[in-house]
Amino acid sequence: MVYIMFIFLLGLVLGLAAVASNPSPYFAALGLVAVAGMGCGVLVGHGGSFLSLILFLIYLGGMLVVFAYSAALAAEPYPEGWGSWPVLGVMMAYVLGVCVAAGLFWGGWYEGAWVSADEFAEFSVFRGDIGGVALMYSAGGGVLVMGAWVLLLTLLVVLELTRGLSRGALRAV
Amino acid sequence: MNPYILAILLFSLGLGTTITFASSHWLLAWMGLEMNTLAIMPLMAQHHHPRAIEATTKYFLTQAAAAATLLFASVTNAWLTGQWEIQQITHPLPSTMITLALALKIGLAPLHAWLPEVLQGLDLTTGLILSTWQKLAPFALILQIQPSSSTLLIILGLTSALVGGWGGLNQTQLRKILAYSSIAHLGWMILVLQFSPSLTLLTLLTYFVMTFSTFLVFKLNKATNINTLATSWTKAPTLTALTPLILLSLGGLPPLTGFMPKWLILQELTKQGLAPTATLAALSALLSLYFYLRLSYAMSLTISPNNLTGTTPWRFSSTQLTYPLATSTAMTICLLPLTPAISALLNP
Repeated sequence: MVYIMFIFLLGLVLGLAAVASNPSPYFAALGLVAVAGMGCGVLVGHGGSFLSLILFLIYLGGMLVVFAYSAALAAEPYPEGWGSWPVLGVMMAYVLGVCVAAGLFWGGWYEGAWVSADEFAEFSVFRGDIGGVALMYSAGGGVLVMGAWVLLLTLLVVLELTRGLSRGALRAV
Repeated sequence: MNPYILAILLFSLGLGTTITFASSHWLLAWMGLEMNTLAIMPLMAQHHHPRAIEATTKYFLTQAAAAATLLFASVTNAWLTGQWEIQQITHPLPSTMITLALALKIGLAPLHAWLPEVLQGLDLTTGLILSTWQKLAPFALILQIQPSSSTLLIILGLTSALVGGWGGLNQTQLRKILAYSSIAHLGWMILVLQFSPSLTLLTLLTYFVMTFSTFLVFKLNKATNINTLATSWTKAPTLTALTPLILLSLGGLPPLTGFMPKWLILQELTKQGLAPTATLAALSALLSLYFYLRLSYAMSLTISPNNLTGTTPWRFSSTQLTYPLATSTAMTICLLPLTPAISALLNP
């Protein structure tokens, strides 16, 4: 269990370095897929299986796929990835930066910061993440409505900003 | 713009500020700020020319960075102390980060570089909304936080007053002048924040009234630079006579309203034993006063070379509503005698 958590977290950090170091959106989005997938694995390991499922379906399967298609529309004939030396160099630099940061922050300082969301762990059906969602719909209903309004507003703002194709605000549309 | 979209955007602008005002939780306050940023972006970009898009992009980037820093600071505070309450940030690290994030949000020096360029790319109405309404929500948070470092606030305040003065001296574009004027006034507001938050509120509200009048005067004359202002005396002669008073009120001269916040702030600073700070702030106000005086000189105190029979030409009457400008001009000029009543209202 510890070993698989370690592999997931390693993949997460390497995926983040890939996102930051790749100039082409294809490979950067691939890095994002890796990050999200590994993050979901870590979540499952800590008991948030519902949250992990939602993340996979909605974020990876909905939003990232849409982003990948939009990136594919802005096609690059020769995308630059880890095959070219400058990109690999930046990637190595980020990994080195992570190692330095890890060395600086080493030591058991974070154990007290992890608060358990559910006491009975695998012995209860009503886990922490599912309980959170239930609270969001009951006690947090007002904030949920506000969140939904903000999402609608973002949609309208983006549509308004890209209205008019190339005659509009963003000439590249 | 499509009236339905305009209605939704203005509604969201109001809702965002209301949410931030009504919140005691940092997450909700952040939501309100982001809603404000989102809602004003299409309003800024509505004229679809590259300069407006540049201004919108710069505004979005700075405001998003500030909101992200704010969120990061509140989450850090929640991690360190378990507290999400706005008024309970006592740990110095999140408190300083929040102060700097809010300083970036409103445009305090040294985080002010975006404000002149953003204002320059907007039309005067959107610029007015940016200078007034968009400052309300961050100030609601600024007035509530426990400042971590007394020195930080004084440095932010003095630097803003000086940068606002010196930066505005070389400008010929009116919107950039108003941006630097905003920076200077925000400096005065932050200077007195830790001693008397009600004086900060007073300065904010008087600044709103004064800058509202100024923007509307420029809008009525359709003037965006000093040259146009110099030849606009023919369009509205009475307004030309009143505009120097509005501008000198912005500069903080007695017996106009703009003197009230400066006077009370200098008094409070002196009472706190910060007489050199007060002197420096008062001297920096002279810099701002110079360019307000230059605007009055160009507009009303001199007439540009003209033929002998230069009179007010035949012109259409303006379609702009004059009632708001009339009200705010009266408030900009005549409110100083009400200082005791206003201080009593703001000090419950």
